[in-house]
Amino acid sequence: MAPNRRTFLAAASGLLGTALLGTSGCGARGSYLTPEGTISLWYWNRSISDTLLAKTPKATGVRLVPQKIGGDFKSKFLTSLAGKAYIPDIVGLNEDVATYFPDADQFVDLFDVGAKDVESEFLDWKWQRGVTPDGRMVGFPMDTGPTALFYRADLFEKAGLPSEPDQVAQAMDTWEKYLEAGSTLVKKMPKKTYMMPNVDMVYNQALAQQGKRYMDEKNKFIGDGPQVREPWDLAVDAYRRRITSNTNDWTSDWNAAMSTGRVASFVGAVWMGQVLTDAASGTAGKWRVCRAPGGAGNSGGSFLGIPKSCRDPEAAFKVIRYLQSPENQVVYGLNEMQLYPSAIAAIDDRRAQVKDKFYGGQVINEVFGTSAKAVKPVYLSPYDNVVGPAFSDQITNIWSAGKNPDRAWKDALTEADRQLSHLGLI
Amino acid sequence: MATTTPLTAPAQAPEERRSTGNHAGRSKSELLSLYAAISPFYILFAIFGLFPIGFSLYLSFQNWNGIGAMRFVGLAQYQFMLSDPIFWKSIVNTFQIWFISTIPMLFFALVIAFMLNQQIRGRSAYRIAYFIPNVTSIVAIAIIFGSIFSNNFGLLNAALEGLHLDTVEWLNTPWGIKVAIAAMVIWRWTGYNAIIYLAGLQAIPTELYEAAKVDGANLWQVFFRITVPLLRPIILFTVITSTIGGMQLFTEPQVLVGNGGGPGSEGSTMVLYLYQQAFINNQFGYGAAIGWGLFVIMILFSLINWRLVQGAGNRGSRKGVRA
Repeated sequence: MAPNRRTFLAAASGLLGTALLGTSGCGARGSYLTPEGTISLWYWNRSISDTLLAKTPKATGVRLVPQKIGGDFKSKFLTSLAGKAYIPDIVGLNEDVATYFPDADQFVDLFDVGAKDVESEFLDWKWQRGVTPDGRMVGFPMDTGPTALFYRADLFEKAGLPSEPDQVAQAMDTWEKYLEAGSTLVKKMPKKTYMMPNVDMVYNQALAQQGKRYMDEKNKFIGDGPQVREPWDLAVDAYRRRITSNTNDWTSDWNAAMSTGRVASFVGAVWMGQVLTDAASGTAGKWRVCRAPGGAGNSGGSFLGIPKSCRDPEAAFKVIRYLQSPENQVVYGLNEMQLYPSAIAAIDDRRAQVKDKFYGGQVINEVFGTSAKAVKPVYLSPYDNVVGPAFSDQITNIWSAGKNPDRAWKDALTEADRQLSHLGLI
Repeated sequence: MATTTPLTAPAQAPEERRSTGNHAGRSKSELLSLYAAISPFYILFAIFGLFPIGFSLYLSFQNWNGIGAMRFVGLAQYQFMLSDPIFWKSIVNTFQIWFISTIPMLFFALVIAFMLNQQIRGRSAYRIAYFIPNVTSIVAIAIIFGSIFSNNFGLLNAALEGLHLDTVEWLNTPWGIKVAIAAMVIWRWTGYNAIIYLAGLQAIPTELYEAAKVDGANLWQVFFRITVPLLRPIILFTVITSTIGGMQLFTEPQVLVGNGGGPGSEGSTMVLYLYQQAFINNQFGYGAAIGWGLFVIMILFSLINWRLVQGAGNRGSRKGVRA
């Protein structure tokens, strides 16, 4: 039946009404996507176990509505904050939690809802990363990314290097010794095998082991200090020795390098193990893990926050506490999702000490657990991700375009300066 | 057409004027319903078109991280933009990629269209086959091209090695990155342009080809003396559409070399740089300023294009007069 004029106009005005309502709704406070009396939670795929989320309402007595947000998570969260509408009651925050510090007043201070009570349960350095310099807690610890050295025991043996985890850790306890071992390996097996995938890895992982980064707690630039210069020099050294295969992370090239044995080792966070087992399942049993050269470091990990507009912060915190309890971090975090715990009891739990066939039956948690507990507390500033690229881009220029390292260092400092003056910080 | 309307208009005018000019002839409610009927477009345009444009202009004078309060900074964002080497690099990159992709692309498209226009068996199958790349997901294409151009295990480097030539670190070197991105663009859009050319080719009278055959012209002569000159307007159209497409290049470099544009930002295009500044670094004010910078560049480029089209049009008509 063809619509007559009246029904058409009715439909048209209906559409118009929807459009107007949609815009006027933006300014209204308390516009939520989930019904009143519930707590909404935004998380990304594989950041919290779905089984655990399903159990949460019964365990906490809170009507939780989890919403899995796909793609551009941060943009979507910022959009809802900027529009002051449809803001989740609990939100997953990534490693860059510090970028929210200048706007910490947009979040509930977790110390106000009882976070202090559980502080001792968690790794101190991880806990500190969610707290602003003036003592407001924005992010509650979720998973962490302690780093270690992943290596092919068979290739190390072939090159005449030590191959047992304890021996390797001892023989390569500094980056200098590790790079030297790299030269040995490449000399023994020329053309086909490299010590590590790329130069950037040396810079990033050595930097992740430092107790300072680019900015101090007063947001003053300190990136010209030794804590940045040393990783930089190590990266330049790695480049000069020609022991990297120039394989970029997250590419099919990296997967191929790992499965064919072109790259004998890399320093990476615990979650790289998952990437490695997926990419190189054919090399199972040949890999080992040991303490990283240069000491413990962390890369990656996430947090949970409660935006200011939350309808019931106490209930929201109850949910957070339940989701990230030591017990649930072992059972649903580590053992179900390979998310490395931030709760000390979870790291030490008997159920976390599993022999892994991929690593020749090694209990890799012993290595990562030791690393996780030894990470130095470091102040990550809201501006690290503005300044950081200035340095990492120049490292890339050195190895990909053969840029003079001294020139590159000067350019990095100039660029960092420029970016900071753009933000009005200097 | 524009010159003919004044001649015919007076004849129709009296009647028309009565029907459209006389508002008193319609009731208010009737008018209201008419306006209501055409309003959705204007309302949606105001919300999703006009408002964002105005807001981005406002934003380009602010410093805003997306959460806190905006801070008015005047022209500082534009000042920073003009002194930003990566901004200029992204413009140069865009034009380089556009240049090394568009010329081969349009050339191949023309040749393919010419061949598809011949009397061959299974023509439709070929036409579909050439068009299919255009409907393939770019992300899937990027993965395939990523493994073709991979540094250590890429198909291309394996081929070079097989020929005992030196391998190239395609995705680490400035030109390698651009060639890889351009190759994706070429692969995806050649068939699309070929189909447009094919439509143009079919509008060329067959008598011309028959005459050429009778005169003993070979395939190349037919192609360069008949096909190309008569296709000129269509070629100009494809040049303009691929200019627009080239200026907007985003997904290919993003998926192939990441938000930063790969080593040395060599794969960073104008739109990718805007996206990186606004949505990755959360500098929305600067992102908006870049957007307006691009606007100016596009205006300049459109003017050049317009001049080209006009110039070509004049030449064409002059030739027509002479003939």
